[in-house]
Amino acid sequence: MIGRIWAIALNTFREAARIRVLYGILVLVVGSNLLAILLGQLSRHEAGRVARDVGLAGISLFGSLTAIFLGVFLLYTEVARRTIHAIVTKPISRWEFVVGKYLGMALVLTVLVGVFALAMVGMLVAQGAGVGSGVVKAVVLSWFEVLTVAAIAILFSSFSTPFLSGIFALAMWVIGRLTPDLEAASRSAAPWIRATTKIALEIVPDVHLFAVSGRTLDGSAVSVNGEFVRWSYVGLASVHGLGWIVALLALAAVLFHRRDFV
Amino acid sequence: MRSRGVSFPGLADLAIDVHDLKKTYRTPFTRKKVEALRGVTFGVERGHIFGFVGPNGAGKTTTIRTLMGLIRPSSGSATLLGHPLASLDARKKIGFLPESPYFYDYLDVGELCDLAGRLFGLAPAVRKQRADALIEKVGLGPARGQSLKKLSKGMLQRAGLAQALMNDPELVVLDEPMSGLDPIGRKEVRDLILELRDQGKTVFFSTHILSDVEAITDRVAIIARGQLQAHGKPAELVSHHLQGVEVTVKLPLPGGGAATPPPGLKTPELHASPVPASIDAALTRGATRVRRVGDELSLTLAAGTDVDAWIARAHAAGAKVLQIAPRHETLEDLFVRQVAGADRSAAGEDHAEP
Repeated sequence: MIGRIWAIALNTFREAARIRVLYGILVLVVGSNLLAILLGQLSRHEAGRVARDVGLAGISLFGSLTAIFLGVFLLYTEVARRTIHAIVTKPISRWEFVVGKYLGMALVLTVLVGVFALAMVGMLVAQGAGVGSGVVKAVVLSWFEVLTVAAIAILFSSFSTPFLSGIFALAMWVIGRLTPDLEAASRSAAPWIRATTKIALEIVPDVHLFAVSGRTLDGSAVSVNGEFVRWSYVGLASVHGLGWIVALLALAAVLFHRRDFV
Repeated sequence: MRSRGVSFPGLADLAIDVHDLKKTYRTPFTRKKVEALRGVTFGVERGHIFGFVGPNGAGKTTTIRTLMGLIRPSSGSATLLGHPLASLDARKKIGFLPESPYFYDYLDVGELCDLAGRLFGLAPAVRKQRADALIEKVGLGPARGQSLKKLSKGMLQRAGLAQALMNDPELVVLDEPMSGLDPIGRKEVRDLILELRDQGKTVFFSTHILSDVEAITDRVAIIARGQLQAHGKPAELVSHHLQGVEVTVKLPLPGGGAATPPPGLKTPELHASPVPASIDAALTRGATRVRRVGDELSLTLAAGTDVDAWIARAHAAGAKVLQIAPRHETLEDLFVRQVAGADRSAAGEDHAEP
């Protein structure tokens, strides 16, 4: 089972590594970091903070958008190009195929997040700003955010077209990021809106847990520029993310299992 | 001859056993019902080569995709090597070539075979040894390092065959394996199929090319409009009643019958002087098909024609009989007959519907 999943994962990694859009995104990330240096020059004594904010935002934004792009297209193209016909007719379960595709994507996204982080660290060093454990923790959290978003995209891709899957996944990511704001906004709304919002937010992965620059759930103010969350929080948030990933992949596998490949 | 809806108790050791398989789709927007398979039943004995033929849209590929677990049947049942559909144990022993195969075009044929070997759980050394042997066997040795996107359709078909055989399968399922191949490639695939049968494997393949079916299959099934029309040994399926007599005669024409062709005519052999009406009438009476090339006339005399009397007439007209042979029904005749029958039935059903 492990060998089969790994074979699909490696093949997916090779497939994704050939997608030229990814290299365009890399250029964008490096460009945004260079822009951060320029913005840092404009701010007084806050060059390091601007660099960190832009760098981490770049990892989260571009990483998540890349995750949606890969998640939506890599599974769909297997079905559309019928390459899947020669694969799932081998002794491999469809859930193994879905997990293999996801792991291949996760591998690509891990490399991308690593490169994004290196670009950010390079920029911070160039700015003379320190690279403390806060930055490392923030990168780890962003990495889990990206992996969770990839699982969301895979779920929609398992039964829908790339266009719709992309829209659904993007919507879930945005709603997940805005969960605290939506909760706050619904408090003053009518009871049925409050109830509906509560239910909607329950079924959306809590990706806001991975973007902790600002105010966390327990109400304490944290910032990557000053005091930051403890490693225990990073661990708990990662486990929470893993739980969502497993649940999303399980649902994707069930839906994929029922599909006809004509 | 076996026909639709019949089970096969006589066939003991079946590699493929299909009972009343049905598949109904609904079109995406109109939700119109489309019956792709309407109760298909057949059996494939172990160690046999089984040809599955039918016109475009008959249900061949739907049947194969259902057997291979790509499509879920609406109803009915099937077993492969004694295992139920979608069983991983069965797939370990099956090699499959999809129709017009699409593979990852960034891989080369060696990597494709290696990926297949990994999915079959083969050890690295076994994967390498089998991939090397199969790539040579399908004639892709010289193209081994090229990515699949650079290969022709025929070469892709061969690559597909190589990956299908990586697990040394007991049952080989090939969807249109001769498609896209030149005559030499087709012969090589036919030889490969025969070799697989000689190794004790069962081969189930679909095709449009009836001469391939006649040449190599032990049994054949004809499918049309989602229903099996005929099933059995090719020799048993075709009618043994005399269909007619094929005759070739040399015409008694001055100068061998070939008139001087007009300038620029590329096929002078087809430009012949007219046959005198008396000779024409004597020879073509009772003929169902007449074809003339130069001074040779080929005819098919209808079954029941008094051949002795016809030969006497030909001699009397001065024609020389070159060849005479009985004509029996061919698989092509049977195919056309069965498909036409299915079309008529479907047209009748369409009329019957309000």
